[in-house]
Parts: sequence; C-alpha cells; structure tokens
Amino acid sequence: MTPTSTLYADAPARHVFFSPARIWAIATNTLLDLIRQKVFYFLLIFAVLAIGISPFINQFNFQDQFQFLKDMCLGAMSIFTWLLSVLATAMLLPKDIEDRTLYTILAKPVPRFEYLLGKFLGIMLLLFISLLLMSVIFVITLYGREQFALADTMRYYANAPADVLQAQLKSIHDASFTISLIPGILIIFVKGSIFASLTLLISTFASSMIFTIMVSVACNFIGHLQAIARDVWLSPGTAGPLARSFLALVALVFPDLQLFNLVDDIVAGNTISLILFTKTAALGALYTCIYLLLAYFIFAAKEL
Amino acid sequence: MSAISIKNLSKVFPIPFRRERIVAVRNLSLEVQPGQVYGLLGPNGSGKSTTMKIVLGLVTPSAGSTQIFGRDSRMVESREEVGFLPENPYFYKFLTGQETLHFFGKICGLHGAKLRDRASELLALVGLENARDRRLSGYSKGMLQRIGLAQALILQPRLLVLDEPTAGVDPAGSRQIRDLIVDFKNRGITVLFCSHLLGQVQQICDRVGILHEGVLVREGRLDELISIDNQTELTLENATPEVLAQIHSLLASSNARIIKERQPQSTLEDYFLDVTSPKK
Repeated sequence: MTPTSTLYADAPARHVFFSPARIWAIATNTLLDLIRQKVFYFLLIFAVLAIGISPFINQFNFQDQFQFLKDMCLGAMSIFTWLLSVLATAMLLPKDIEDRTLYTILAKPVPRFEYLLGKFLGIMLLLFISLLLMSVIFVITLYGREQFALADTMRYYANAPADVLQAQLKSIHDASFTISLIPGILIIFVKGSIFASLTLLISTFASSMIFTIMVSVACNFIGHLQAIARDVWLSPGTAGPLARSFLALVALVFPDLQLFNLVDDIVAGNTISLILFTKTAALGALYTCIYLLLAYFIFAAKEL
Repeated sequence: MSAISIKNLSKVFPIPFRRERIVAVRNLSLEVQPGQVYGLLGPNGSGKSTTMKIVLGLVTPSAGSTQIFGRDSRMVESREEVGFLPENPYFYKFLTGQETLHFFGKICGLHGAKLRDRASELLALVGLENARDRRLSGYSKGMLQRIGLAQALILQPRLLVLDEPTAGVDPAGSRQIRDLIVDFKNRGITVLFCSHLLGQVQQICDRVGILHEGVLVREGRLDELISIDNQTELTLENATPEVLAQIHSLLASSNARIIKERQPQSTLEDYFLDVTSPKK
C-alpha cells in the first residue's frame, strides 16, 4: 500500500437534489449486471424457435406461413419480455440488500428515488435491447422466408402473364413484414414496463424473491380478468356490498391487461389507429408511473 | 462542531403480527470529535450496527436525533462527507476493482479524468493495483475489505464509518487495514469504528463507547478507561542484575510492591507476520 498526497485535497462536490448522471450510472450498472449474468442467452432460444420452425410450416401456403411465423414470433417476444421484466426486476432489491450493496450506495449522497429510478431504467434498457434484438431476428427470419417465397413464386409463375406474377409477388410482400407490426412491438415494450414497475413495487415490501415473482405472476392473471371485475363493479345490483368492494379493489389496483392485447389484431392484419396506439401507450405509462410512485413511498420508509 | 452528534437516540423495532417489540438502542447520547478514531464496542445485538445505520440515514430513529458535521443525518446532503464500509461487504461481483470504484465515483458525481485519477490513486492506496482488472468474484476476503475501504474514500470523506473492517481477514490483511486506519487518522479523517477485535480497537482508538442491550454503559478516552490508577509500568533496557537488585532493595524499603516482573514479549500478531511475510 502506498500513501498518496492528493486524495483529500479537493473540496467535495455540492450535492444536487436530482442528478440524471447518478440515475444513469445506476441504470447502466444494472444493465451490465444482467448482461454479465448472461440473460441474453434466451435470445438463442428465440432464434432457434424462429428459424427452427421453418421445416414444420412448409406445408402451408405462403400467407399462412407468414401468419404463423408472425403469430409465433410476436407471441414469443411478448412472453420473453414479460418473463424478463418479472424475473430480472424481482432480483434487484433482494440481491442488493443481501449483498449489502444497497447500504453502500444509500450511505452515499444518493436519494432513494434516484436509486429506484436507476434500477428501473436499467431494466427498461434490458427490455429495449432484448426486444430490439428479437425484432432483428424476427425481421431477418421473415425476410429470408419472403425471399424464398418470392423465388419460388417466380419459378412457379415463370410462364404466367406479368400482371398475374406481379399480383402474386405483391400478396407475398403484403403478408410479410409490414410497418403495422411496429406498434405491436412497442406495445409489448409498454406492457414490459408495466410489469417491471409492478414487480419493483412488490419487491419493496416482499420478504423474498419467490414471493415477489409469485405475486407478480398472479397480477398478470388478475390483470387479464380486471375488465370483468370492473364491469361487474360498475353495474349496479350485480353483486353484494362485500363482493363489490373486492371487485372495486381489483379494478382499481390491477392494470387492465386486456387493453394491451393489440398484437393479436395486428397479426390478424388489422391496422391499429394512431389514436388507439397513443391511448394504450399513455395508459401504460400512467400505470408505470403510479406503480413507481407507490414503490418509492414504500421504499422511502423502508428500514434497511 | 462535532463530527458525529447523537442526542437521546432510541430505536424500537416492532415485531410484525405480534405485540412485542425490540428496543435496539435506548436513549443514547455521544459525541465524536473531528480527527478522532472512535470505537463503538459491544456484544452481538447490542445496537452497534443499528446506531451506525441511523447515523448513515439508513434507519429512522424512533426518538432523538443524529447529526454529521452539524447536518441532520436523515438528510441526503449529510452523506456528502461520509464514507461507509459495511460488515462483510460483497459489492457487485461482476465488476472489476476499477469498475467498482468508477461506479461508486459516478454516483457521487465524479466523472472523466478526475474519476479515473481518483480510482487509480485509491487502488494504489489499498494495494490493489495489480488486481484492478480482476472481477470481485475472484477477490479474497481481505481484498474485498480493501476495495470496500477504497470505495468509502472515493468522495474525500471527513468521516469514515467502518463496521467490522477486519472481520474474517487474515492477520496480514488485518494489519494492512489497521495501518490504513492509522493513516486516515494522521490525515485528520474522523473514524467511527466498530469491531469485536478488542486488541485492535485498543491499538487505534482514541475513545470508545461500550453498548450493552442498547444502552451506552461506558464511554470515554481509552487511556482513562483502562489505566490502573495505583500501578506504574517500567520497561528497562540493558538493566544489569546489580541495577535490578538496587531497585528491589529500594522498593523493599517503601510501601510499593512488585506485582509482576518478566521479560517483555512481542505480540503473537507481530511474530506471525514476521514468520509469514516474504523475506527481502
């Protein structure tokens, strides 16, 4: 060990109440942690699913092949994003508490809301990169299949009139990747952010990681039934006062996840209006903000 | 202004779903002056860690107040001048030593060349220059404690809070950490130090407080607390048998009596380090 002379020479920097740089440092560190835990290996499973399915769908016509591929890939993207948002978020706080890293961070001039926001942003970065990479694999797979279909069609319709060939080629283009898929992918991201914030909220008071995951998974199921609970709650005379109170609780606390099932419509070829997309995304952002705010209130009062 | 000021501090932890509660700290008052090394001692469960956590704003007091250099320790700003090393720290195992210091520097508002220079300086200070690019998962216990000390120093603190800094560390590592604490003291840094190794506390602390079941049972300057008023210790060098005989005869003619007479011994720690340290 060697002594130094300049270590304590400078005056410390003044504390800033809100520092995006601090939040970014915690967010990138969270992302680095997850990357070095090799979470992106799941992409291999996704790639195998997307590419490996090809031999099994060759018996369908091209339109059905594209339909099946889009259905499967967007479904897998949705499930993987949900899994990542729940599992990766559930381990953040318990791990930092167990390793006492949380003490070391919060014993520095770091406000608790910045710590939470940094952790959440780290998960958002993870979800964004994962979705981007899955989208790239999805588009490449779709493009490869489209090229194969185009070549096959040109060979099959080699002697057909040009307008017939062009109509066939256009139908293949239309059935392949279209810009309307992008809102569907973005909504998957929004849904991931809801689950990440909800899981973060649960982990602020949960006693273990397993409990956090279980409750978050239960919230997913309840969230898909929320609309039913809300309808019954709002229809007078359909239930007793106790049941109505319970239904009101479900309707107010849990997100209505049915509203975020736009992917099915998009895959079916329906175009989602900009207004519907904006409303859905804004609702997702609202849910996320509410859950983050609740998480902060609980975490701020938490005895470490 | 005191480095740490604790006034009438109490902390009660309610037990969920039961009417019982645990009193971790009971009406504790103490002051740590700037530049002191203060040893907070006590058996397990005596309230040492809770007191430290309250000082650092990690736990809210049930009653009383704590201040760091005059600022309420519940305020985030009070932690600007504090470095903390928790007991058995693990940090982020996936980071290297250098990345760890960069991370803690960034959350303290450092960046660029200043951060890189500070990290390099601290790695040199704690003797981890050669392990800077190694992940913490491959660090030994002693190395983890030393990187912990380095991160505690990243923001040029005037106060260091160290919770069992040498727990589980081998004698050589323990000596290095002790020497570092002495170095901090020489630089004017206040140290609040919590340890079960009483020999080490005795070597480096100016003042100690002893907690038992949440109550501060003794507090004061170490030399005052443990000195035996009616006894005097002499250590002679090159004393011949004649000189010793004269001393004995002088003592025989007075009321004083010799309680113990023996050749001074080195400590086992010094002997161990002498045997195991690499020969130059």
